[in-house]
Amino acid sequence: MIPLITLIGKFIHFVSYLFNIGSGGTWPGEIALLLKPDIFSYFISQLNKGLIIVAGTNGKTTTAKMIRQIIGKRVIHNQSGANLLNGLVSAFIEKASLDGKIDADFAVLEVDENTLPSAISNIKYPWPGCQDRQISKTKEKNKKLIIVLLNLFRDQLDRYGEVDAIASKWQKVLKGLPSDSTVILNADDPQIAYLGKSLKSKVVYFGIDRPDKFLPKIEHATDSIYCHVCGGKLFYKGIYFSHLGIWFCGNCGNSRPKPDIENYSSAMPGLYNEYNTLAAVSVGRELGIKEKMIKTSLASFTPAFGRQEEFEIGNKKIKMFLSKNPAGFNASLRTVLDLKPKSLLLVLNDRIPDGRDVSWIWDVDFEMIPENICVIASGDRVYDMGLRMKYTMQECKNARMQKLIIEENLRKAIEKGLNKIKTGNTLYILPTYSAMLEVRKILTGRKIL
Amino acid sequence: MRHDNYKLTIGWLYPDLMSTYGDRGNIICLEKRCAWRDIKAEISSIEVGTPDKKIEDCDLIIGGGAQDRQQEIVIKDLLKKKSVYKKLFEKGRPGLFVCGSPQLLGHYYMTGDGKKLPGLGIFDFVTRHFGHEKSRCIGNTVGKIIFNFQFFPPNAGSRCGGTIFNYKNTIVGFENHGGRTYLGSGCKPFAKVLEGFGNNGEDGFEGAVHNNVIACYYHGPLLPKNPHIADWLIAKALEIKYKEVIELKPLDDALEWQAHEFMLKKLNIT
Repeated sequence: MIPLITLIGKFIHFVSYLFNIGSGGTWPGEIALLLKPDIFSYFISQLNKGLIIVAGTNGKTTTAKMIRQIIGKRVIHNQSGANLLNGLVSAFIEKASLDGKIDADFAVLEVDENTLPSAISNIKYPWPGCQDRQISKTKEKNKKLIIVLLNLFRDQLDRYGEVDAIASKWQKVLKGLPSDSTVILNADDPQIAYLGKSLKSKVVYFGIDRPDKFLPKIEHATDSIYCHVCGGKLFYKGIYFSHLGIWFCGNCGNSRPKPDIENYSSAMPGLYNEYNTLAAVSVGRELGIKEKMIKTSLASFTPAFGRQEEFEIGNKKIKMFLSKNPAGFNASLRTVLDLKPKSLLLVLNDRIPDGRDVSWIWDVDFEMIPENICVIASGDRVYDMGLRMKYTMQECKNARMQKLIIEENLRKAIEKGLNKIKTGNTLYILPTYSAMLEVRKILTGRKIL
Repeated sequence: MRHDNYKLTIGWLYPDLMSTYGDRGNIICLEKRCAWRDIKAEISSIEVGTPDKKIEDCDLIIGGGAQDRQQEIVIKDLLKKKSVYKKLFEKGRPGLFVCGSPQLLGHYYMTGDGKKLPGLGIFDFVTRHFGHEKSRCIGNTVGKIIFNFQFFPPNAGSRCGGTIFNYKNTIVGFENHGGRTYLGSGCKPFAKVLEGFGNNGEDGFEGAVHNNVIACYYHGPLLPKNPHIADWLIAKALEIKYKEVIELKPLDDALEWQAHEFMLKKLNIT
């Protein structure tokens, strides 16, 4: 049965890649799960050294890629970002031999927020002895299970539900993890830090201690500013963005746990990438990888697709910052504005992977964009985006409104953006998920990789 | 048409508890549409424990959606101020309640596990959650306004580059609610559902109107794409405050109506 499933899966993958259908990331797994619902646990039980799972609203893809860079080559990784169960299984099928065998040390999997509970409950613990390959008992004992939880922000309420609901589902499933597993948590996110309170697993915290990076005032797109222990209001010594910062409860004394790792030079610009780096380094240390090795691996890190990805177009550049929810959008906007852009293209789509509801753009602080920057709006919901930009104006018909370009056609919008900048300069594109794939398709001919 | 001696105080209910998904858009929209007409607009945040006087000083009250945990904190505080709000709304103070907030305004809200939470009793309606067995009402939605909706100036449109966009009687938005609301016999619905679920997915009505208060399930930023509703609220607030009908200076709303029409077209409403 297994060889047949693997073969079918591999064939589907091949066909969809060949014809550039773009869904090669999920169909093989989808079919395999239909034929053998427990195929995920079948695959992970074959891993030699362990499984690393990364979840959180923002930074999954980048963090998983950093971890992979640190831990080496013999790794299964869902690098296309297909992070539902079907995507995870597909990543295994792609690397499996024709008889369904996996020969890899680790799997590094980014997992969707809603899929995390079912992915974790698919892990049979203690690791079942892998009888097929006669792996010794000691090896099984050293096999690692590491769960990395980055953050929780409001994102696609129509699909995910409320942030609190996700956190409570996570808590339930994390409580079932055994004592020799490791859970790596962001100390600066009060909701994530709270998850570490009642676990049997070893808990490792990471956080940032950079008072120079505190925001002058709290952003609007903020969740969980109430204490998870007592419901009292949380106070901050300082906030980095959204609700991430050095927090404490004014009522019960609950406070940010002391991080096991603070501050590490980041592989990419943006404070959010410092968090991603800290999380990846924590995994490296947990696996006993030498500090020097971690440093050199990260020094040669290249961004994941769509995440600060660069393209050369003639003698001009395009840099893309995937921006799919208020916290992420604010963070990429701030990073982009530090790079002194002349022209910004904002692409808003409302397809399933973006969320059908575009209300969230009103939680993004677009007001921070200086008036001398040319803004172009595009995407399926170009008028919603344009309207959001209009309502950043203090006066009607001011400089920004005169400069605002609204272009339904994405290809034309990119052309207009490039025309607005001089030779050697960069056009910055901030797209939602499906819009990012479309931009890649226009620029490179391929949506994902 | 000089507006610069007018001033409105916009009361924003619990900005950090009831602002789940873009609800701030309504505040930004009202603030800017006042500012662009030189009407001074001041945002007054109403939080847990805000004194009654500060609430009574608001010319317009705006409420958004809350997550479950936050909603509990909100309703506890709101119930303490029941008589303050009742008095304001009976005197004609305009208000807009979107997303889950209608659940706070009726007689009660019956939760999925059968708990009956009392509401402010401003509207003659009840809300029920039938548990997670019954699916949530989620999606783009269009309604046709059915209550007596007067515009200032009457029958006016806004002009942009030779095109006149007439005020529409449609409303476009997005809904996402688990609760279902049933209007009492004396309760006037706000709109007729052309697309989407509306109050309960059964009777074809969306929201309710009581005096000058609108409660509806359109969630988040309802006003930017529905500038007629925004202007109605501003005009009503000025009328009640200054005790005269004030004609609003027209704005260039071409982009607003383009966004509105775009949604009608997307949802095949002609």
